Amino acid sequence: MFTIYRHELRQYIKSMLIWFAGVSGMGLICILMFGDMKSEIDSMAETFSSMGAFSNAFGMDKLSIATLSGFYATEVGLIHSLGGAMFAAMIACSALSKEEEGHTGEFLFSLPVGKAKVIGAKWLAVFTNIVVFNLLCVAVYCVGFAVSGESIPAKEFALFHAMQLFMHTQVGAMCFAVSACSKRNRIGVGLGAALLLYAFDTVARILPDLADYKFISPFSYSNASDIFSSGEVYTKGALLGAALLVISLATAFGVYSKRDLAS
Amino acid sequence: MKNVIEIENLTKSYGKNRGVCDVSLSVGEGDIFGFLGPNGAGKSTTIRAMLGFIGFDSGSIRVLGKDIKTSREEILRDVGYMPSEAMFYPTMKVRDVIKMAADIRKADCSKEAAMLCERLKVDTEKRISELSLGNRKKVSIVCAMQHRPKLFVFDEPTSGLDPLMQTEFFALIDDYVKDGATCLFSTHVLPEIKRCCKNAAIMSEGRVIRVDSVSELTRTNSKRIKMVRDGVEEDFIYEGELNDLWRELEGHDIGDILIEEPSLEEIFLRFYKN
Repeated sequence: MFTIYRHELRQYIKSMLIWFAGVSGMGLICILMFGDMKSEIDSMAETFSSMGAFSNAFGMDKLSIATLSGFYATEVGLIHSLGGAMFAAMIACSALSKEEEGHTGEFLFSLPVGKAKVIGAKWLAVFTNIVVFNLLCVAVYCVGFAVSGESIPAKEFALFHAMQLFMHTQVGAMCFAVSACSKRNRIGVGLGAALLLYAFDTVARILPDLADYKFISPFSYSNASDIFSSGEVYTKGALLGAALLVISLATAFGVYSKRDLAS
Repeated sequence: MKNVIEIENLTKSYGKNRGVCDVSLSVGEGDIFGFLGPNGAGKSTTIRAMLGFIGFDSGSIRVLGKDIKTSREEILRDVGYMPSEAMFYPTMKVRDVIKMAADIRKADCSKEAAMLCERLKVDTEKRISELSLGNRKKVSIVCAMQHRPKLFVFDEPTSGLDPLMQTEFFALIDDYVKDGATCLFSTHVLPEIKRCCKNAAIMSEGRVIRVDSVSELTRTNSKRIKMVRDGVEEDFIYEGELNDLWRELEGHDIGDILIEEPSLEEIFLRFYKN
């Protein structure tokens, strides 16, 4: 099992480093820009907070972008949550199906290793990538804070990134289940689903009729503006997220263990 | 002689499509068993069911004395399989693929792998993406043989291999079988069956239509007749007694006549058509 886990990590490392560099780089630029833009942002903050639906959608009605917390939550929070979710979707969507798409399944499954162990090793590799991606990004953001001489509330920062890790894991698990059910890579489906869930969360924050349903999207409980303004997690969304995570993994194991290997 | 492979009444369908129906065959220890049939006959489905890649609707499969449904992992420890496509992870180096296969088997196969790479002239430093089909096949042979399994299963192993490598491949099979291994291979290349197999099964349209020794399968009373009769060239397979043919030719002007054994293809086509 460890051999497959190690093999999977090696397969993902380039992709992970590219996504990490892209997401954390953009986040770092935002953090470093904040100091220079502070004086201009002061004058813009009030305008941005009173733009009705637009302000609600991006959480600028709760936080002032004139503070680093507010700026971080609205700018970096968006980049990190969306970038991370897309990365998680991309690697998880191909984790199992790539063996059939690339016709390598017959090589792998002719070796004395059970399907459950292969699924376990592959999920562990996906999860490890998500964890490492998040840890590296957090490290870069912390470097950004240190360089800019600014600081943000540690508790909210930790809670936000813990929820980000959870959300990325949930998106990864859901896409892992898609991968288990498919004989071809469905990266497009995964990326589309991540964007759709984000879009749903944004719309649910604008339209009052959808407000009661915003828990459906995993972006609801990991929203930076909510966490930085209240210091709490949206429990309803998080509970559904946890349930979906477990159901997705159980589906992946159940379906893939019984499914015929495509030739 | 005990059986290494025992398949009884195997039936597998793909929805409305036929897979294999009521397939039964057994392969004895130390045998080199040929598996013949046209495309879509069900050879690969049988092999894939035998290795646990796919489930099946009814029947039973025992490999090395164990049930494939309950002891798949245990069985595969002693099986070396070479798929027809021989696909690996394109970014990996050959040596890493060979090592990965050995590591998953939790075995140190370095000496055997080195010997195989030398005999098959495998460049272990190349990436998989740089290899031709023939070279990928060679890597696949190394992966299938390096742990010295008790049973080899080859699916069209020689396609893509040059004649020198084919000779080396059959020499390797001979060596391992002399040491007690058993080999099953499916192929379209009929001379290969005659060259190295003791027994063979012929499949057609999802069913096993004949299982026998290769000498029995290739024995025939048929003759290929090429002649010029009354100025007209003729070329046909004659199934009857030669004396009857002579009587039939009496009174005709025979310009030339050649009587020879039919080709293996012609012999096996007869089975497929029947």
